[in-house]
Amino acid sequence: MLPFEYARASAVDEAVNLLAADTGASYLAGGTTQLDLMKDGVLAPERLVDITRLPLRGITRDGDGLHVAALTTMEELAADPTVVEHLPIVRQSLLLGASTQLRNMATIGGNLLQRARCRYFRDPTVPECNKREPGSGCAAVAHTARMHAILGVSERCIAVHASDLAVALVALDAVVHLQGRSGLRSVPLTQFYREAATSPDVENVLVHGELITGITIPFLPAMATSGYLKVRDRASYEFALASAGVALVTQDGTISQARVGLGGVGSKPWRSLEAEQVLTDAPATEETFREAAAAAVQGAWTVPGTAFKVELAQRTLVRALRNISGVAS
Amino acid sequence: MAKALSRQRYAQGARDTPVALSVNGRQYKLHLDARVTLLDALRDHMGLPGTKKGCDQGACGACTVHVNGRRVLSCLTLAAQCDGQEVTTIEGLATPDGPHPLQESFVRHDGFQCGFCTPGQIMSAVALMAEGRAGSDDDVREFMSGNLCRCGAYANIVAAVRDVASAGGADASL
Amino acid sequence: MSLVDTAPVIGAGIDRVDGARKVAGAAAYPSDFNAQGQAYATLLQSTVGAGRIRTLDTTAAESAPGVLSVITHRNMSRLPDGPITALGASPPAPLQDERILHHGQHIAMVVAQTPQQAVAAARLIEVTYDADDPVTNLQDPRAERMDNPWGLDSERGAVADALDTVDVKVSATYTTPDNTNNPLGLFATLAVWEQDTLTVHDATQWPSMARATLAKVFDVPESAVRVLAPYVGGAFGNGLRVWPHVILTVLAARMTGRPVKLVLTRPQMFTSIGHRPSSIQHITIGAERSGELVAIDHRTTSSVAMEDDDYEPLAASSAVSYACPNVITRDSQVRLNIPNPTSMRAPAEGQGNFALESALDELAYALGIDPLELRLRNYAENHPGNGMPWSSKALRECYEVGAERFGWSRRDPAPRSMRDGDWLIGYGVAGVGYPWYAQPCNARATVNRDGSAIVRSAATDIGTGTYTVMTQVSADALGIPLDRVRFDLGDSDMPHSPQAGGSGLTGALATAVQDACGGVLQRVLDLVREDAESPLRGCGLGDVSVGNGRMHRRDRPEEGESYADILARHGQQELTADGTSTPADPSTLGMALAGAFGAKFVEVRVDADLGVIRVARVVSVIDGGRILNEKTARSQIIGGTVGGIGQALFEETVTDAGTGRIANGTFGDYLVPVNADVADMDVVFVGQPDRSTPLGTKGVGEIGLVGIAAATANAVYHATGTRIRSLPITLDHLL
Repeated sequence: MLPFEYARASAVDEAVNLLAADTGASYLAGGTTQLDLMKDGVLAPERLVDITRLPLRGITRDGDGLHVAALTTMEELAADPTVVEHLPIVRQSLLLGASTQLRNMATIGGNLLQRARCRYFRDPTVPECNKREPGSGCAAVAHTARMHAILGVSERCIAVHASDLAVALVALDAVVHLQGRSGLRSVPLTQFYREAATSPDVENVLVHGELITGITIPFLPAMATSGYLKVRDRASYEFALASAGVALVTQDGTISQARVGLGGVGSKPWRSLEAEQVLTDAPATEETFREAAAAAVQGAWTVPGTAFKVELAQRTLVRALRNISGVAS
Repeated sequence: MAKALSRQRYAQGARDTPVALSVNGRQYKLHLDARVTLLDALRDHMGLPGTKKGCDQGACGACTVHVNGRRVLSCLTLAAQCDGQEVTTIEGLATPDGPHPLQESFVRHDGFQCGFCTPGQIMSAVALMAEGRAGSDDDVREFMSGNLCRCGAYANIVAAVRDVASAGGADASL
Repeated sequence: MSLVDTAPVIGAGIDRVDGARKVAGAAAYPSDFNAQGQAYATLLQSTVGAGRIRTLDTTAAESAPGVLSVITHRNMSRLPDGPITALGASPPAPLQDERILHHGQHIAMVVAQTPQQAVAAARLIEVTYDADDPVTNLQDPRAERMDNPWGLDSERGAVADALDTVDVKVSATYTTPDNTNNPLGLFATLAVWEQDTLTVHDATQWPSMARATLAKVFDVPESAVRVLAPYVGGAFGNGLRVWPHVILTVLAARMTGRPVKLVLTRPQMFTSIGHRPSSIQHITIGAERSGELVAIDHRTTSSVAMEDDDYEPLAASSAVSYACPNVITRDSQVRLNIPNPTSMRAPAEGQGNFALESALDELAYALGIDPLELRLRNYAENHPGNGMPWSSKALRECYEVGAERFGWSRRDPAPRSMRDGDWLIGYGVAGVGYPWYAQPCNARATVNRDGSAIVRSAATDIGTGTYTVMTQVSADALGIPLDRVRFDLGDSDMPHSPQAGGSGLTGALATAVQDACGGVLQRVLDLVREDAESPLRGCGLGDVSVGNGRMHRRDRPEEGESYADILARHGQQELTADGTSTPADPSTLGMALAGAFGAKFVEVRVDADLGVIRVARVVSVIDGGRILNEKTARSQIIGGTVGGIGQALFEETVTDAGTGRIANGTFGDYLVPVNADVADMDVVFVGQPDRSTPLGTKGVGEIGLVGIAAATANAVYHATGTRIRSLPITLDHLL
């Protein structure tokens, strides 16, 4: 790491002002992305503003949904009784991600903002990286891609957004609350991210100094079933090759509501309205699920190393839907 | 990014920051380069080399310690972030009465070979039990998966943890 | 079923003697050592795969905060190469010129007051290259090819003729990728010069060799060099050579006049200390309808570095694995712009066995014969080449015991016939014969005035349990209780020891330890030969027994005395004797020297839709000769099995063409098995003490890994009907 000045904020306003005044400053929360990238030499802020002591903790609920303050850790959110009882898709997406140690450190705000795992992005000695240096090319497209995306990508960049939680949250239409120099705003998570195909170097709508203060997760209807399925090589502690966060409301064998999020395959957490359209008002059968999966991967852009994900993503989605609907193979 | 930084930025000297923390019940007051991780602070500045560096990238779990009672990776934590907090390392597990039951169980079940990952495994296992996740072999396997063991002692690690858990030591935290 | 002979201390599964220290975090690994006034080094590496350094500007780095020295090929001394060791040539000296031979090659070392300063300064070094297109593919026609590099190619009978006339023939190509050893312990070196003496802490598996190498390279007497490795955080072959970064650290210490400490980064662990090379293997097996093997033709190509050697005879074991009259084995290497391959746990065997045991499985299906039955039908009772009886071989028992414990008879022979919900179930088997290996070894034993003992040798314990097992052997040989015996190792000042490698250390060292302990017993007897007060006067070694810190007469066991009494009466503070062992000589023994044997049974579950593969259970039955500690020996097997699961399902070091850069050089990207990947493992030891050594032990450090990949591939075929001939077996091949 290059040298930096360490500062700690005790109030949100203070943190926002510190950053607003200094383009060379960055926030530090759990550190699992920030410090990792600083060690790799990808990030080199002149000042780190530690926000972990800010009063941004706590989970509350009201009629709208669950309000989760941004510094809530992944472990804390997974253990929340409301999440346990009413939002299996969220709980599973959390517990299938990372390791307990990382989940104790990683905050919900930070999880949403995690950066790509791509080893070309994370190695500054690799010149071709449009995410680091717009216009320089994409080494992953040219070389080895397996843990990369097929949706929302192009020859400019195929980096995957690796958060499992974010997949569940876009499926649930979560809203992220921001505080910046110009005040407060709330953004639906489905509109929060940018795709790598268009702007590899700009990943979301945050302006410099804007801080995520919390998220709101709307509840699913009472009769909904939901779940998160993650497919990877080893049994644990690995990012997804493909994953699916799904929710269904089914009445008399017909799906009345469906939510589909895909992970491991999108340059952003991927909400598939295309799949939901096929599912809604259709019979809850494997045939319907397969049709929905085919719709979900329309427009996939692959390189040889990621081509298998087109099939895997579909089968993962089908299995996830089968799992929560009890439809046998 | 790398090219855009000026030569001057690269040539800047270290910025120090005061860090006061409690480790294994003892108070430390340090003045550290802000870049020093909790891992490096323990090993290089506090004379506690029991916590190991296996990757420095948050991928192996060898550096696992407890901060405020929760297991975390010390390689991805700045020492400065732990100002005012309680840290427990492998050196702080034993009591005047003897080793922690998990330490004894690891020896009995041969839950290690080269021993390099062992401090991290044990710190993880102590926390695992406090988290209530030692009730089945599958739970132990899953929730210990953040600690790599290249010697492949996993089966014995699971046996060591389950032995203590089923002996009613499930509440045996620190 | 025969059980291995056990004596009270030998064989018992006693807890590791270094266990208490390890679980307390009190064992000191190379990166844990510090020296007063030490400086910190970091390395800069080439970012092209081939070519030369065109410009190199270190001025900014040299003036960066805290920097003491920047070493490049421009200011690097001409250093002689290290010596030829029992494993072959030393790696070439570093920083000798501007040529780049692989991506990640060390091109500079920066030494500074703090590690952070060194790393920041290294980023200030400006390099440009004249890059060539690196040769990275085994099949690249530009790659220099060497046939029969070690003269081990073999031929018996007439393979081509035989293959023309056989009933059934199976011919296939198998490939294995680069793998990286990746011990958890980051390799580290701390070099301290005091006048012209050098002390080095290093992650070595071979302190005696490291001492000899550093003495030669730095032109000082061996007596002036001390290499210390009391604990090593795993090695798996990485520590068998003195690598360039070690040379550079020692040089930096000499140049700066300060102790210098270097800890490799995890990405550097992929490019600095060796790895398992990739292979392409062509194998043809011909058999009669009855299943009797008629011919085996096994030819391999592996990768090796541009300017280094690596001993990897992949096909050699195929000549001695089965009773087959016609066999050809051919091994070749091609030179690539890659980091220098070197041994990784079960070198050559890990790769070669995958091809042979997969091909045999394919033959079994082609013949309609049970794969286990096929192996038994071609069992080599004696050495298939020279007909000599093996010094020990219980492989048949391994198969029989394993089959029963595994439930092999439950197997429905048809592929894709066994299922549990979404999971397809498959059973696979593989047989293993590990090569015999031994080197000369020395040890020194001391009995102290207080009746305690210290025995030592410059060996290492890389997790294998050497500290413990040798404590047991010493305690048994001296008749002193375990808790009064200490075994020391990891110091080149101690008697010369071979490497912890080749599964050969335990046998060589145990024999040397027994010899040294016997020597001490003789010295005790010499002491009391004329001693009127001693009931042991005039006794020879054959007349006495030992136990409980005492020596007593065989004919009158109540007559004896303690070592403490003897030494006290004779005014001795200690008695010391040196011992040695030399490898068995097959020509004089009239037997074929055998290593360990094993039968591996694997059950896999493959998700019928998602292709996800899980190893559900493994049964490993091992003939390791006399097992010295059943707890640590079992750990060696389960540990090797986990390594085999990694080889089978997860591990592949990917090198990009065009750049020669390793694409996945971190623990997050290079996948080793995690705890949740490892389910049921059953380990059984069978057999008799080996007849070629006094103690009868055969090393079991590597055999745990071999055969797992083939048994897994065979199980995957049985489960799915899809034959995978390349490793790792991943779900994308099964969709």
